[in-house]
Amino acid sequence: MGRQGPEMDTLLLCYCTNLTVGELRGACRAGRWPLPDKERSGKLCTGCMGDLLHCLRLFSEEARKPAR
Amino acid sequence: MSSSDSSALLSATFHEEGYEHLVELVHQRDADARRRLRSLDLALYDADGKLLVSIPVDPGQEILDLGALVAAHAPGAGRIMAAFEARYDERVFPYRPHHYAYLHRRGSSLPSLYYAVNAVLGGVPDRIGATGLNNFETYLFRPRGASERHSVLIGNLSRFAPGEAQISTYYAGARRTNEVTLGPKAHVEVALDPEHAGARLERVEIKAVFRLASYVVGRRTPSGELVIFDHLFTYFK
Repeated sequence: MGRQGPEMDTLLLCYCTNLTVGELRGACRAGRWPLPDKERSGKLCTGCMGDLLHCLRLFSEEARKPAR
Repeated sequence: MSSSDSSALLSATFHEEGYEHLVELVHQRDADARRRLRSLDLALYDADGKLLVSIPVDPGQEILDLGALVAAHAPGAGRIMAAFEARYDERVFPYRPHHYAYLHRRGSSLPSLYYAVNAVLGGVPDRIGATGLNNFETYLFRPRGASERHSVLIGNLSRFAPGEAQISTYYAGARRTNEVTLGPKAHVEVALDPEHAGARLERVEIKAVFRLASYVVGRRTPSGELVIFDHLFTYFK
């Protein structure tokens, strides 16, 4: 599993709520996850649950790092 | 395109050489108009999850010849997972669109198979109110002759995360379990023992943390020709 850089921000992460990788990254940075209307991401068809948890872990770690 | 009227669906099936394999891109029709997807891309993956080719498909096309596309773009690659990446207008499809498929071994006298292509990612927005648990599935086997062997085909359509599946088979109360781990886009066929301790295979169950592409397969012995290619059934909450 590689890192999910900004070049992947337009990638659709949750097909049921139309959540993109970039929206999740931005929400984690701003400490605003879950976003309004995206609370059920990963919980409907469940197909993206693995990717969602993977990205949540990654972006939460990035958000905790001190800004340089 | 505004996000409010755009929906996404990723469906998947498996193809092996020697079969005529036609996919009806949109099954739903009505008296007034043919319904079309907004866009469709087809991607083919080998068993290790390597992308072999990605092909944009004209969404106005009604029938896609998957066998011909695999023969042209991925000859000799063994079992292929074909992923159908669709975008559609929720006003045109108030429910999720489905792809249906026809499968027949060339030159075979066995009957053709028809099946619904697995919808793996998407198509279950809140507005549909779906209640199925689609990452826990089961399939009951009818008593059949010894000239048929069963297996499950499983593929992981995730982009980043490995997928783990527990495959349980049931024989007159006895349960046996296998576990498989698949990298992104990898796929596998898991053979099911037809008997255990003198009891025949009655049921298979697949449990996964998240939805995987999954089919039950029956093969005539010794030729290996497909006689079942079917989806499993979900449990209800």
